[in-house]
Amino acid sequence: MIAEFVASWPLFHDAYLAGWSIALLLALLGVVVVTRDQIFFGAAVAQASVLGIAVAIYVGGSPALARCAWCGDDWAHTLVGGLFAVAGALATAAAQPRRETPEAITGWVFLTGSCFAVLLLAHSPHGMDEINRLLASTIIGAGAVDVAVLAGLFMLAAVATALWSAPLRLVLMDPEMASAVGVRVAVWNRALAIGLGAAMGIAIHVSGVVFSFGLLVLPALVTKQLCREVGQMLWASPLVGLAAAIAGFVVANDRDLPPGQAVVAILCALLAAAWVARRLGDRLQLRARLRSTICRMPPWRR
Amino acid sequence: MTGAEVLVRATDLVLGYAGVPVLRNVRLEIRAGEYWFFVGPNGAGKSTFVRALFGLVTPSAGELWIDPVRGARQRRAFVPQRSVVDPSVPTTVREQVALGLVGLGIGRKEAGERIVQALEQVGLGGRLGDDFWTLSGGQRQRVMLARALVRRPTLLVLDEPETGLDFAAEERLLALLDVINRNHGVTTLYVSHDLASARRHATHAALFHGGTVEVGPAAAILTRVRLERAYGVAVSAAAFA
Repeated sequence: MIAEFVASWPLFHDAYLAGWSIALLLALLGVVVVTRDQIFFGAAVAQASVLGIAVAIYVGGSPALARCAWCGDDWAHTLVGGLFAVAGALATAAAQPRRETPEAITGWVFLTGSCFAVLLLAHSPHGMDEINRLLASTIIGAGAVDVAVLAGLFMLAAVATALWSAPLRLVLMDPEMASAVGVRVAVWNRALAIGLGAAMGIAIHVSGVVFSFGLLVLPALVTKQLCREVGQMLWASPLVGLAAAIAGFVVANDRDLPPGQAVVAILCALLAAAWVARRLGDRLQLRARLRSTICRMPPWRR
Repeated sequence: MTGAEVLVRATDLVLGYAGVPVLRNVRLEIRAGEYWFFVGPNGAGKSTFVRALFGLVTPSAGELWIDPVRGARQRRAFVPQRSVVDPSVPTTVREQVALGLVGLGIGRKEAGERIVQALEQVGLGGRLGDDFWTLSGGQRQRVMLARALVRRPTLLVLDEPETGLDFAAEERLLALLDVINRNHGVTTLYVSHDLASARRHATHAALFHGGTVEVGPAAAILTRVRLERAYGVAVSAAAFA
């Protein structure tokens, strides 16, 4: 299995490296989403990005832009997809609980992205193929530029997290306290929304919706079950994402399966296992606590 | 205490939201080492004043002066009603207390010492590595207090920290605050609905009602007549127990 994977390296190394970079990047950013219990946020931003790509294909294909050399370019699609993802993320971050809940805005972004992307390209066979490719997730077409951009984004996110881990955790866990000690929570929220939107926008164009959304939420959910602190989640989540991506690509190569789905399936199984492990762990701890309490009780109370 | 330095001074202060004033013409002086209780009906502006102390509400008029050295942001600390952390998020006592150090720019060694010391102060010295969610409500509130004390504040502000605590846990918290105020000289501002505790523990009181604040020594402010006028109902004898 491993030897076959190594043999496939010259042909698919860009796809593998891009997938692993996405795994590291989104699994790290996913801690923000999971800690805030905004799982659906990732799906909504993904759909906003798909809508952006649909708009780019629609506009790029119009006769008025026939002379525009770069309008139909892949990176133009990524750029517009990224901008839409950022806009969707900012719209969700800007929700004010008194007027509308973030969940409601998230739902609106998700549904708007889902239906308008299809409606816009309903009569464009090439466009619909592209949308279906994004929804189905395939990472095979990733290139060296994708790897460089995604790896660079991960390095940036990792350095920022290492430098500002404490204020980040305070903003995520207790924004009121963060404001009280002088952390500019609104600025943090906007920066996080832009970072998440940009990362999701680029990742989706390279790898599709299922892979990106799966890597955003599943590794962080796994580590949420296994870690004792959010600080631990920040380094454990990218490692879980990377390990699953490596295993998934090896299995997919061996069994001739779609790599994106293989990685997400492994993460889903890991999360189920983490739930079971946590439940068992809680029971064992409870029993240990009960046992120590009983042992400490005086004989007449046993 | 009257000779102590002024830490906070409000002069004809007007506070509100979106142009609608909540508090008008507030005048008060809080001196170092005093123990204030802020009482009054819901919506009377207690929390608005507290938010202003932390720069979260900008005065519409007047002045809110805070000693730039003794009352600097790094020396102010806040204890909320309860921890707002989602209970499904994993966190430990150590992580929660360490978050209180944000913005202080201190080294790892000193941070560690401060965390241990703050937890010992609140009687949770041996619980450093414990899962925050295995603690009782009262213990969690003491962790919140340790998170504030880790800043070594000169001004400690507590916003109804007794909410959800049983009688014993509330008494333990109040006894702890007495020690912190008296032994460590930490100026304490306690927002509360508990009038009996206010009478027993406060040196000074601010009674918020009708958009204004009556301030002074606790015994002079927390009288039956004033409280009944502020709350608009008869105040039970229990409040004066």
